[in-house]
Amino acid sequence: MPESLAVRTAAATSSITRVREVLDGFALCDRDGEILTAVRHFPARVAQWAPFPPWVHPDLREAYKAKGIERLYSHQAAAAEAAHQAKNIVIVTPTASGKTLCYNLPVINTILENSDTRAIYLFPTKALAQDQLAEIHDLNQRLDNRFGVFTYDGDTPSDARKAIREKSHIVLTNPDMLHTGILPHHTRWTRLFENLKYIVLDELHTYRGVFGSHLCNVLRRLRRIANFYGCQPQFICCSATIANPGELAGKLLETDVEVLNANGAPAAEKTFVFYNPPVVNRALGIRRSYINEACHVSQEFLKRDLQTMVFANSRLHTELMLTYLQQANPQQPGGTTTIRGYRGGYLPNERRDIERGLRDGQIRGVVSTSALELGIDVGSLDTVVMAGYPGTIAATWQRAGRAGRRSGSSCAVLVASSAPLDQFIVRNPDYFFGNTPEHAFIQPDNLEILINHLKCAAFELPIGPGERFGDVDVQDLCARLAEAGFLHRAGENYHWTQEAYPADTVSLRSVTSDNFVIIDLTGSPTVIGEVDFSSALTTVHEKAIYIHGGQQYHVEHLDFKERKAYVKRVDVDYYTDAIRYTQVRILECAAETRASDSLPEIPALRSFGDVLVRSQVIGFKKIKFFTNENIGAGNLELPENEMHTTSYWITLERPLLESLPFTISERQSGMFGLLHALASVATLLLMCDRRDLGTAIGEKPPYPDDQEMAMDAVQMRNHNSQDAKEFFEPNMYLFDAYPGGIGFSEPLYRAHDILMQRTRQLIVACACSQGCPSCVGPAGDLAPRAKEAALAILDRLCNSTVRPDRWLHSITDSHAWRH
Amino acid sequence: MATLDHRFSRLAALKPARPPAVRSTTLREPCEEDTMARLLGAGVSTNRFGEHLAVRNWFSTPEFVAPHSTCLQLLSQQRDEVISRRARTALENPEKWLFLDTETTGLAGGTGTYAFLIGLAWWDAGGLQVEQLFMRDFAEEHSVLCELAARLAERPVLVTFNGKTFDWPLLENRFRMTRSIAVPGLAAHLDLLHPARALWKFRLGTVRLTDLEREVLNPSQLGWHRQGDVSSKFIPQFYFDYLRGGPPEPLLGVARHNQMDLRGLAALFGKINALLAEQTDPDEEMHGLDLFGLSKFLHRRGDKGRAQIACAQAVDLGLPVEFHSRAQNDLALMAKRKGEHQRAAEIWHEILADSGDTIHACEQLAIHYELRVKNYERALEFAHRACRLLHTQANHANFFAQRGMARREDLSLKRIKRLEGRLSKRTGKRLPLGETRATGTV
Repeated sequence: MPESLAVRTAAATSSITRVREVLDGFALCDRDGEILTAVRHFPARVAQWAPFPPWVHPDLREAYKAKGIERLYSHQAAAAEAAHQAKNIVIVTPTASGKTLCYNLPVINTILENSDTRAIYLFPTKALAQDQLAEIHDLNQRLDNRFGVFTYDGDTPSDARKAIREKSHIVLTNPDMLHTGILPHHTRWTRLFENLKYIVLDELHTYRGVFGSHLCNVLRRLRRIANFYGCQPQFICCSATIANPGELAGKLLETDVEVLNANGAPAAEKTFVFYNPPVVNRALGIRRSYINEACHVSQEFLKRDLQTMVFANSRLHTELMLTYLQQANPQQPGGTTTIRGYRGGYLPNERRDIERGLRDGQIRGVVSTSALELGIDVGSLDTVVMAGYPGTIAATWQRAGRAGRRSGSSCAVLVASSAPLDQFIVRNPDYFFGNTPEHAFIQPDNLEILINHLKCAAFELPIGPGERFGDVDVQDLCARLAEAGFLHRAGENYHWTQEAYPADTVSLRSVTSDNFVIIDLTGSPTVIGEVDFSSALTTVHEKAIYIHGGQQYHVEHLDFKERKAYVKRVDVDYYTDAIRYTQVRILECAAETRASDSLPEIPALRSFGDVLVRSQVIGFKKIKFFTNENIGAGNLELPENEMHTTSYWITLERPLLESLPFTISERQSGMFGLLHALASVATLLLMCDRRDLGTAIGEKPPYPDDQEMAMDAVQMRNHNSQDAKEFFEPNMYLFDAYPGGIGFSEPLYRAHDILMQRTRQLIVACACSQGCPSCVGPAGDLAPRAKEAALAILDRLCNSTVRPDRWLHSITDSHAWRH
Repeated sequence: MATLDHRFSRLAALKPARPPAVRSTTLREPCEEDTMARLLGAGVSTNRFGEHLAVRNWFSTPEFVAPHSTCLQLLSQQRDEVISRRARTALENPEKWLFLDTETTGLAGGTGTYAFLIGLAWWDAGGLQVEQLFMRDFAEEHSVLCELAARLAERPVLVTFNGKTFDWPLLENRFRMTRSIAVPGLAAHLDLLHPARALWKFRLGTVRLTDLEREVLNPSQLGWHRQGDVSSKFIPQFYFDYLRGGPPEPLLGVARHNQMDLRGLAALFGKINALLAEQTDPDEEMHGLDLFGLSKFLHRRGDKGRAQIACAQAVDLGLPVEFHSRAQNDLALMAKRKGEHQRAAEIWHEILADSGDTIHACEQLAIHYELRVKNYERALEFAHRACRLLHTQANHANFFAQRGMARREDLSLKRIKRLEGRLSKRTGKRLPLGETRATGTV
């Protein structure tokens, strides 16, 4: 037959064969099984169907039919039914299981039955709202545009806003816009609030930590305003798979929420591979650069025409990998760029362009930060490569889900970095594959967050007697706000008494709401992107090499006051990495005891409490591409950042230090190494992002309120042994990297023993001789014998008789102390 | 409690926005509430929502002016608003008018900004009756709003200065926030900011009410002076201080300020009325720029005839250089639209002689000679000249201006091509290439 005579091209072979080719290639180089530490196959799953519920409006059923949806997946039917019964629900399903139908069906059905009905859809990003708009528009057109649906966010032109307020039945927006643009102007939205029936929260799992704590308070305000207009809206939430969706939803909404976690959607066959870069120096524990290896893996896929998405954990790495991959896949003359980057700093049009290119297959590869982790529709890709463990099990599955969304066969590869957490995950694949994803936690009653939202609430509507924010009776806080001049009590109510607009000064996502604009001065000045305040200090300081779209720029000038960075295009063979230093001062100790419950004689203390953290970017290193050599450094004078937060810390007392058979500098290096390992293990125990925890070492000051700062970490690190103070009783801090704290300190304090034991095991189990990035940190940064010293300190800090076989179990058991 | 206080003292969210004001030693006693009333000369007014302070003062100036129908026609004519019969009847009856100006707790807008002093005024016995409603505390807001609703029911024509974008939307918010007092319906709303801006921005630049009082109205005849007037930016803080037991005296200044604003507003209406109804004092000296502003305003509101007259008068009175050529240009365009093509062409020639906006003049003359006079040689000459000028000027323009220039250049180039075609047809042969080039580069 003529078909069988067709030339065997890459495109003609099935993707599954080509994926197998690549994996076989890796397996060939991996004789000891050290590289491919896990290869797991997940078989395809068939769909579970259910009919449309009988109450669905015939026109809506027709509209879905016209889109090719004649029946529902079982979980869609169950969700629609529960929503129809006016329950608050959270739907937990993986990517691409048709979750949007779960909320669109009941909401649009209600609108068709009663055209007064209004709904708010909240998405964590503007891009997701745009994506949904297209979907609902399509449905609406098939219903003769019977209802109004619009996005309302920072990009909405001001002349269109009035019409949108009048005409939308469904408003697609984000928490930030709700917070600054809608709630403080609720009188303009009377029609919406008087008829608000549904609030849809998509990607619920993103609302955890600081962002979630803020959102919880925004929802408190939203419900308050809705109640004012006589409405009690119902919530429909969707979440990716996390361990506690019901608990998270319950905490965010502060009401009972029904969890629907059955999934009736079909899934394609999938292979999940853990890839550990080969060891190049066993003694130093040095592996090949995971960035280079991830590029290598991606290139193997791209070469075989497999559409590939590459995830990096930082903007810098996104740009680095983009540069490498673009060089490996040069643009065809006259053709479009086949490899593109995608991250937050790109302008909206550029991003829409990339999304389209991915859907229609023009773009063969994309390198992205977590920006593409969420449900933006870019179609299905063949393979996903993750450079570095994304930090949580949930995010890893979410990213892996980007490959093979509907059909065919797909492959996800996790390339481990030498960070302790990554190494732990790839060496213990059962931990990843056998465990539930992590818990998401919020701390909405963090005083800093709560009070800021209380101000916003008072601006929106005077605060009456007996009003509560969740469980918090806010009368006392209002009295304090009145004392500080923000509120004034008239009769029984507290009113806002400032000219300023409080929501403007409260950012839901980071400490400050300012973004830095990046201006390219190479030709006529053009804005090429934005960076948020916290990363600005480390990425666009003067003399930094800022990489955008694979192009390098030299930062000529950082205008701190105007929030502008001026850059010029350059072509150099290095990138820059900022050096930050941190000082911690104890403000108030909430609890302090002997370090170990079982060994009361240990000369060490553990504590937690309030601290003041000062940090500053003081310089930068120049690092050569490919070889990662340090080829120079510079000093910087940037403003200091100050934050009150909570911290857990260990104090090593003089007898303990004196008992260590090491030189002072070895001892100090040992402490830094220990802290490095402690932070990694704490991240695992807390199931939090590594960036949520900060570390520092400081001297225990004689008086807690002494204005003098504790000896700072960087100074100590640079001191040689002669200059170092003969004795100090150091504090090793693990602090919450958010003003006010997000509640990690007390659990760490309580889990002290587990933390010590796990850390000890991490270091003992590591095969390196003098320290490596996987345990106490790279050997080059530390004095010789640092690893030994760290272990010696640990030996004195914990009971070394814990049975190693209990290792994995205890970590999962340790969830107990979080409830 | 001490540690709790300590804890709170460190919260950034509780840091006072400005250093705490030095507490006045004379904190108001609860029984002393009415110092404010005494100082203002106000009485406590009561309605079903509670109490507030209200004070009325009658002023002989500004004197009543009957609104002229021409003026009303011009003021109420808006592009997208069709004026109803009810509105017209109400407008024509000055007894239905209510001047309004508010003092607020901020300019940010939104639901947390309050109007603590609502100043109202209406014509009465040949002069102006001013009523000020003051809330001594937020609890009195409903009572104040209820009173305002009652006044508006009686006098549903609102006259304000910037009230369309600021005062009225803010009050609408306040009414909505009560959930019990409906937003009063207005028969009409005259906002004098826009006409005032159109009329006087050329001469004054900024058109704040105080600027207008000083430069447009006759300060010596106003009957009040702005000496020691409160600066607007301090007003919210004066009120916040008062709420927290601070002295009431600064608010007296605010009340006086509000009073003067209301009287200024009424006086300003008199001025605009006279100007638009052509009832200005013949002895009064007119500014050329004011006439130019008037002409622009009349033209926008559809009175083309008077616009042309005012513009011509402005030119005759003499205008600063940059406005002279703009006025000339307007005159020429108005003449052209009326079909007075010869007159228009003369003005454009004048502009060329004065070296005003010569590009536009060249373009217009090219059109004129092509379409009216059918003198293609001259038309071609002007079209080329326009092109050259555009080219030179584009070098100094920014990106957006350049886009406009590019469009105009295209038009001129098309015209040149068409004219060359016509000329070659008329002479029966194509112009030699060299000659075209030569004209193009002169």
